[in-house]
Amino acid sequence: MTERDEDRPEATWRSLEALDGDAGALRWRDGEFPDLARATATGRRSLLKLMGASVALAGTAGCERLPAEAPADPIVSRAGATPGHVPGEPLFFATSLPLEGYGRGVLVESHEGRPTKIEGNPLHPASLGATDAFAQAAILSLYAPDRLRAALRRGGGRRRLDGTLAQLAAEFAADGGAGLRLLTGPVSSPSLTAGIASLLDRLPEARWLQWSPVGDGNRLDGAALAFGERLETRLDLARASVIVAIDDDPLGPGPNQVANGAGFIAGRRDPARFSRLWVFEACPSLTGARADRRFPVSPRAVPAIARAVAAALGVVPPADDGVELPPGLVEDLRRAGPAAVVTAGRRAPPEVHALVHAVNLALGAVGTTVHHTRPVLAGAPSGVAALAALAAEIDAGAVSRLVVIDANPAYDAPADLDLARRIRRVPFSLCLASRLDETAAECLWTLPLAHPLESWGDLRAPNGTVGLMQPALAPPAGTMTALELVARLAGSEAPARELVRGYWEQAFPPGEFEAAWLRTLHDGVVEGTAFEEIPVRLAPGWEVPPPVPAQGEGLTVLFAPDPSVWDGQFADNAWLQELPKPLTKLVWDNAILIAPATAARLGLANGDGAVLELHGRALEAPVWLLPGHAPDCVTLPLGYGHRRGDVARGLGFDAYSVRRSEAPWVDGGAVLQPSGRRHLLATTQDHGTMVGRDLVRSVPLARLAAMAALGGEAGGEAAGEEAGEETEVAGEDLPSIYPEYDYSGPAWGMAVDLNACIGCNACVIACQVENNVPAVGKEEVARGREMHWLRIDRYWEGDPADPRIHFQPVLCMHCEKAPCEVVCPVNATVHDSEGLNVMVYNRCIGTRYCSNNCPYKVRRFNWFDYADEGGRPEVTANPDVTLRERGVMEKCTYCVQRIQKARIQAKLEDRPIADGEVVTACQQACPTRAFTFGDITDPASAVSRAKASPLNYGLLEELNTRPRTTYLARIDDPPAPEEAS
Amino acid sequence: MAQIFPPRSTTIARSILAGIVAAVLVAAVGGYVVTRSDWYWRVGKAEPQPVPFSHLLHAGDLGLDCRYCHTTVERSALAGIPPAQTCLGCHDGLPVGGAALGPLRTAFDTGEPFLWNRVHRVPDHALFHHGIHVSSGVGCATCHGPVEEMPRIAKAGTLSMSWCLDCHREVEPVGPPVTDGDGGLLHPLTDCSRCHR
Repeated sequence: MTERDEDRPEATWRSLEALDGDAGALRWRDGEFPDLARATATGRRSLLKLMGASVALAGTAGCERLPAEAPADPIVSRAGATPGHVPGEPLFFATSLPLEGYGRGVLVESHEGRPTKIEGNPLHPASLGATDAFAQAAILSLYAPDRLRAALRRGGGRRRLDGTLAQLAAEFAADGGAGLRLLTGPVSSPSLTAGIASLLDRLPEARWLQWSPVGDGNRLDGAALAFGERLETRLDLARASVIVAIDDDPLGPGPNQVANGAGFIAGRRDPARFSRLWVFEACPSLTGARADRRFPVSPRAVPAIARAVAAALGVVPPADDGVELPPGLVEDLRRAGPAAVVTAGRRAPPEVHALVHAVNLALGAVGTTVHHTRPVLAGAPSGVAALAALAAEIDAGAVSRLVVIDANPAYDAPADLDLARRIRRVPFSLCLASRLDETAAECLWTLPLAHPLESWGDLRAPNGTVGLMQPALAPPAGTMTALELVARLAGSEAPARELVRGYWEQAFPPGEFEAAWLRTLHDGVVEGTAFEEIPVRLAPGWEVPPPVPAQGEGLTVLFAPDPSVWDGQFADNAWLQELPKPLTKLVWDNAILIAPATAARLGLANGDGAVLELHGRALEAPVWLLPGHAPDCVTLPLGYGHRRGDVARGLGFDAYSVRRSEAPWVDGGAVLQPSGRRHLLATTQDHGTMVGRDLVRSVPLARLAAMAALGGEAGGEAAGEEAGEETEVAGEDLPSIYPEYDYSGPAWGMAVDLNACIGCNACVIACQVENNVPAVGKEEVARGREMHWLRIDRYWEGDPADPRIHFQPVLCMHCEKAPCEVVCPVNATVHDSEGLNVMVYNRCIGTRYCSNNCPYKVRRFNWFDYADEGGRPEVTANPDVTLRERGVMEKCTYCVQRIQKARIQAKLEDRPIADGEVVTACQQACPTRAFTFGDITDPASAVSRAKASPLNYGLLEELNTRPRTTYLARIDDPPAPEEAS
Repeated sequence: MAQIFPPRSTTIARSILAGIVAAVLVAAVGGYVVTRSDWYWRVGKAEPQPVPFSHLLHAGDLGLDCRYCHTTVERSALAGIPPAQTCLGCHDGLPVGGAALGPLRTAFDTGEPFLWNRVHRVPDHALFHHGIHVSSGVGCATCHGPVEEMPRIAKAGTLSMSWCLDCHREVEPVGPPVTDGDGGLLHPLTDCSRCHR
């Protein structure tokens, strides 16, 4: 499968190395742990000694502290009963988590006061019941051991600052806040905005600015150019039939990923109303992976493409710059009209956004697929210009006091602003941070910031809806929220809850506040706070100046937020670090992403070190060859190369160190040269390589109709055999030497809709959090020892210069004829009465025969005591799932703890388990509902109906394992010429 | 040349060999017997408690229902250990208890939790649910014994896995039986995943 097959040019491949038949990559096909023999290179004599010692000590391995001798772990009587709390049952709190200032609504599951899991809030417009990967991982950052717990003074010691804050407030008030600058992250919170406004009223000389290194301000500035006012732009992809993304990644990580993903897939479920996605981009993104027509273009070409689209639709006069749009694009847009949408991304300059806004207006898309509202983020100056102005003010000596709240400019500001050095020059600086990060290290005082899960507050979703934040546990003493600090500086002593409550008390009608407040806390969203849509028209005298082209000859450089650590704020989260990035599958690192052809020209291979010089600044970093990347440009993922932080320090390279404030997103004139060094990059792209036919399948839209007409019997080569074979428990007539089972009760099964999967990784982390799966570190991952029970396999298909991209979540198949079960010498993996392939940790003696015999490579072995070393304190683990010891095999259980919970609840209520009552962790997190789980013996269940689709197929069905997990082939709408091949 | 070993050496050697075999046997049998004994599992042994609470008095003589204190036994995994507030709900108005209740009163006044020594311990990897047992008709006394006769609470059974399985194997499964191809019965109540996950 992984080898290039001349007869099947469309064959999928996992890595460039595998495509070229490189021995290094094929090792992963031939063995699950290829370097195992070398890892234990031991002489015969030592081996015999070790074996002897092992046998002698084997008896003691079973010695646990016996129940009788164990020190009594006490049982606890509380002082008083807590209303609503049932011991042993989790409580759920509705709250919001911030990303780029916007809120994402979540429900926090809390066991006996300890948050263990995060789910989406179905009532919240940016969640709709699902979450992204960042939200899932927030649990770990809550328990990060290096969180600040007390105030710190630069150069020495911990001090209490409570008294000093009041003095500080008085001091500020005395001279009207002269020389005071307040630097925050992006703020959407109504109460914090009001709090800062009242602080600024008190201190008229003070100024406030917002900073995010990956802010989306260009989109709003583009609206200012086109419509005359800064407006928020929100996409409704569910109503779009033609989507054109110009260097934009609406399906990629960001505050609106969940809603965009859900909308996009809603427009791709029904073959009769199937949207078409055109993507122009340099670096493959999640959106590009789902594109029907994808064009790798240099970011330098983006303004010209936008202008050509605008010109073709008559929005601007045609320019004579020789840009030719791909055939069919303009016709598609014209035909779709109001159901079309064009979108540009955060890298695009305001001028491009202005063109895009005008195009959408001309198409009639505004109001259907595009919605404009007033800006969600506060109006304080933001972006690179504001930060550059601050730097200039510091140089001029105009800043005598700097307060930094939840921002890290010393790390993530463009290099030429050198905020680290400048902050140190400010006489008084105060920083509110969760960790001793780069900025905190430069500030005179650092106060500990409360985690969002410990905070009172409010955040606006991208559509304006306010989600309340309420603490799921009490913050550690001494920590405070941004709102509290602002109130303290304004001289108020009110606690955070009173500040938030006080703000909303004015917003609700009098007399009804108490009931409304309780309902709002319960729901997590404030009703009726979504912003009204603002009708727009082009500003008179509207004119788009041509954007300034990237300077210099040579390579073009793009900066991009990292899919795992975003702008660097999640770099201290081991779960996110170990989350394989969707396209590169790299973990614990970033790399200079480059097209294979360009790399070949420069003499670079994967993992080769290279020196990148950009306008007098240089960095040394490994390169990573990314198929589908546009030639002659490189992508630098941001967020790595931290100088502080227990986990983040020293990982990857710091792309901010070459970023310039003049060209924060796209820069020209770079020189890339091999440095001669080699870097160890850990990637999972070849791990778990399966050998078989048509592992990941897709069907062209045009052929789907033919298949349906023939009753699902005809497939064609691309559709594979998905129509032919049945994967049901019953009705299987292939002979098998494995025992037959006859199920009377529920038999659990899953269908994974590849047509819905956008590869966002939310399920991977959700599974990790729910099932207490540890992180193992870079070196262990490089040995193939990652522990994720659910992985997403990424396949490339076709030409490495412009391949198609497939995602396939792979978890335990719960085979009806499970090859793992029969080889276990101690019955540690067995079939249960509901068809689950269960793993009995206490029986497991670690032979790893089961893993060796698993064709899907979904079993994970605890080579070390990862659970103890994985960074998650034991008390924070999900109490419903056993922690696994060293030497024990583990794998996906279909969230058996959730099945049991549903079964017990049904039994207590004396009824059968309803369809849809058992929701697995991956299923619950998925923004696009790609997973369906339920009873496959019930023909009416959702999963049975999904499996009845002609698109249903089993992975490696030819092995007759009869997997319980099956896949629905992806539907694509490829261009006509390829359809014929 | 004189013999190095006198004739009795053979006997000594034989008895040593026999002794080794016997010792292994005794250890094996002894271990088997001991680890299944009530002594080993501390059946019937009370733990010292910070407050000398008597189930004999409260459940037996006074006839309080189990659920008066263990409020969540019918719906939750945990039966619920009453908070100090529950104890003082009666004892605040009663002149009984006296100094023995001191630690509880302190707990209530300070808001600090109050710790009892655990008697019934189930290992972490066995996930027991009180509610499902009670609602399936398993009475409290089935596992906990005649609590109303115990002045100091003690285990009535070993709470070992085989002790659990004694019941789980006996109970008739609901619905038609699930079989594998060899006619072997898969008993849903003995699925590993019922208790271990």
